[in-house]
Amino acid sequence: MTENKLDAAGPATDSLRPMTELQRQQVRSFVTSLDEESETYWDMVEIGDVLQRTLTISPELVILYADGVEDFTPWYEGWKMNTWQIEGASPFGAAIVPPMMMSHFILSVMFDHTKPFAAGSIHTSHESTIHGPIEVGATVSIRSEAVGKFVKRGRRYLGHRVTVTDVESGELYLTETREILSR
Amino acid sequence: MDIDVAQLVLPGGAPHPDGLVKADAPVGFQLAGLKKRAAVQLMASRVWGRFNPNHWDPVFAHETGLSAPIQTGEMSSAYIAEMCVYNFGRFFFAGAQVNCKYISSIAAGEVVTTHGVIREALQIEHGTRFTVDVWVDNDSGDKKTVGVVTVDVTPEGASK
Repeated sequence: MTENKLDAAGPATDSLRPMTELQRQQVRSFVTSLDEESETYWDMVEIGDVLQRTLTISPELVILYADGVEDFTPWYEGWKMNTWQIEGASPFGAAIVPPMMMSHFILSVMFDHTKPFAAGSIHTSHESTIHGPIEVGATVSIRSEAVGKFVKRGRRYLGHRVTVTDVESGELYLTETREILSR
Repeated sequence: MDIDVAQLVLPGGAPHPDGLVKADAPVGFQLAGLKKRAAVQLMASRVWGRFNPNHWDPVFAHETGLSAPIQTGEMSSAYIAEMCVYNFGRFFFAGAQVNCKYISSIAAGEVVTTHGVIREALQIEHGTRFTVDVWVDNDSGDKKTVGVVTVDVTPEGASK
């Protein structure tokens, strides 16, 4: 961590990362835009809501995901600097998707992403089953159904049941239930 | 009993295809873990926390009652999955269950370690079904994520 800058009003924008005034303005402007005319997750979702989207898992998207958690397992490499897109290699043949990657993308399907969404909700738990490997480049369908909405100790939670399947073959890749603490 | 880490990684950095937890591994067997730092630059990346400033902006985090930006829980799950892939190899992609609860936040800058200990080894038709207690803690031993992983491992030379 960089130097900690904290005053009576709270921490400064650049307390964890060095920034110029230009960068501080970038951050404040972006964060402000996230909250404009948005709805909370709690208000956007009703029990029984079903939302579904498709995602083509490009080699570059896999690299972005894996680099973010410093996971350099070669099995996931369908893209390398200099050679760019490659078939890759894993015990299943070509490069595959990290096992929990689709779980991470579920959040983008749990609410209507075309509407402004208030930032600040927190993922609290998941129960996932990895049914089979996903080849890099596959197009998957992520289906999410809202199955629970409750208040516990004054906090608002939502539960979802999710399936991830291959769009072409219908193969089931992942099932999951998960809970989110709404802002 | 735990794993010989020197054999866990093949030349080039890949996991052993079958992992190193064999079907006859005993209860109490410890997985080889990972250590990671919650780097705010990674927490803020577009495919991770960019859409939620609680994960990278100290001002927004403070306004929502957090002492510091916190990692997305899914980063912990990804760390646990990476550990399991190196320990169980391809078996982790064939019906494994991963249940995680994020019981405490991981703040920007914290260093965390993944752990896994086999709690149960059940003989099944094609091998062994392992139930593994997994968790992520910080350098003070404070648990951040706890969970249970279930993996079916087939003996060497046998087909599932």
